[in-house]
Amino acid sequence: MLVVGLIGYPFYRAVWLSFTDKLVGYPERWVGLRNYIYLANDDTFRAVVRNSLVFTVASVALKIGTGLLMALVLHNTWRWRNFFRGLLLLPWITSTVIIALTWRWMFDAFPGRGFFNSVLLDAGLLSRPIAFMATPEGAMAAVVIANWWRGFPFFGVSYLAGMQSIPGELYEAASVDGAGAARRFWHITLPGLKHVIIVTTLLTFIFTINDFNIVYVMTRGGPGTATQVFATYSYEVAFNALRWGRGVTISIFVVPVLIALIPLVSRYLLRERAA
Amino acid sequence: MKPWKVATVIGLAAFGLIVLVPFWWIASMSFKTYEQIQFAQSIYVPRPFIWDNYTGLWLETRFPLWLRNSVITAVVVTAITTVISCLSGYAVARLRFPGRESVASLILILYLVPPALLFIPLYRVLAELGATNSLWSLFLSYPTFTVPFCTWLLIGFFKALPIELEEAAMVDGATRTQALVRVLLPLAAPGIVASAIFAFTLSWNEFLYALIFIQDEKTITVPVGLNLLIYGDVFHWGQLMAASVITTVPVVALYMFIHRWMVEGLAAGGVKG
Repeated sequence: MLVVGLIGYPFYRAVWLSFTDKLVGYPERWVGLRNYIYLANDDTFRAVVRNSLVFTVASVALKIGTGLLMALVLHNTWRWRNFFRGLLLLPWITSTVIIALTWRWMFDAFPGRGFFNSVLLDAGLLSRPIAFMATPEGAMAAVVIANWWRGFPFFGVSYLAGMQSIPGELYEAASVDGAGAARRFWHITLPGLKHVIIVTTLLTFIFTINDFNIVYVMTRGGPGTATQVFATYSYEVAFNALRWGRGVTISIFVVPVLIALIPLVSRYLLRERAA
Repeated sequence: MKPWKVATVIGLAAFGLIVLVPFWWIASMSFKTYEQIQFAQSIYVPRPFIWDNYTGLWLETRFPLWLRNSVITAVVVTAITTVISCLSGYAVARLRFPGRESVASLILILYLVPPALLFIPLYRVLAELGATNSLWSLFLSYPTFTVPFCTWLLIGFFKALPIELEEAAMVDGATRTQALVRVLLPLAAPGIVASAIFAFTLSWNEFLYALIFIQDEKTITVPVGLNLLIYGDVFHWGQLMAASVITTVPVVALYMFIHRWMVEGLAAGGVKG
């Protein structure tokens, strides 16, 4: 075992480093700065930066809010809590491609395929179908909703675990002191969840700003460039326009964000592990 | 009933609907006829209820082939991942060697690096190896995210087990390998199964690498194939929905099996995707 550990492990690390090295090896094209300057002056790229931020911040904010609500509801569920927790986690284990596809049909402009159009027309609330995803705002809202739907169960379950680890005596003491439900939530629950909230937010921020699947499957970045984000634009440029150097440069723009966030998340998670 | 109970019931119902309605919409469409979908007839319940979309999908499209590719990939990747992660997880959790702590952080950092950043360099490496356009490209690339994640999970599982049992075995004359295989691995079995199911699910659902590394329509996996169906043949809505249902069911079944362990492993940060 020692031998396997000593030989196999560095080998495994070397394989890994070889992958990261390839990324580091790229500055040849990048240092030329031509791609960099091109992108800085590129209107599409500016739209991409803005879209990525809107997409990420809106999804994460929605997930935090809904996650807290979901955790509160589950925390107060007095029967079948595990069953409901499992049920509500379903979106999180479903393939993102299928989720993107599902929401594409939910918002579809044709009644028989689009859920919202079908139901609203059937209820007589609409006189003719709406093409939800045809406008830039509508398309952005649709991808945010799909991303939110996939991600909020993870937040809810994490917050629930956090809530369950808060000692009940704190609440009892607060009640004795006359604190109402709202004040108990604000002064005990939220501070108790601080750690979990920070970790889930940072993790999700990292993965959402690099999301590819949902946007690619639902809108392909359209209409126009209204939902084009880092990963989809990088793919477009590298594999459709075949400009590899520029494609890589697009993803390199995200690296500073990662350099800032990854050590932070790792520190939190490692501390949790050590405790 | 007390007000908070009423609020909880309403909340549960609301969340239940939010989660289930999209699933139900897709599943119900998979049992509808083309006319029901096209002309928005009987929108809530498939009537008549037909299986034609499933048989059509199976007989007329390449879906069975894609399914086979997905199964092969997920099984191979899960096997590779489980072996490597058990060994590396064991190394970090039990062996004393310099830089052990930094290896643990390195694994975590590797896990956090998003695939969206690596796909172009990885494509070049795989092209140089001649692995693109075959499932080999996936066997080689998927472990780059499954191994760090599963190793991270297993370090936690291994550390939680008492080291005394292995020490006792070694005092009794067992070698380190025997102590690992006979004592630690059986004890850690639930954790290993959970991490294997995670690896399986991650490979099963992966889309970006599969889309880029493989062009041949006979070699692609299900998620890429679904994407072809969406943008390709516009008349077979029902088949597309049937394909989604078939793809989702195995993962849901596996997940019900490990739901408890999974929720505990969640804290390790399983939001990738």
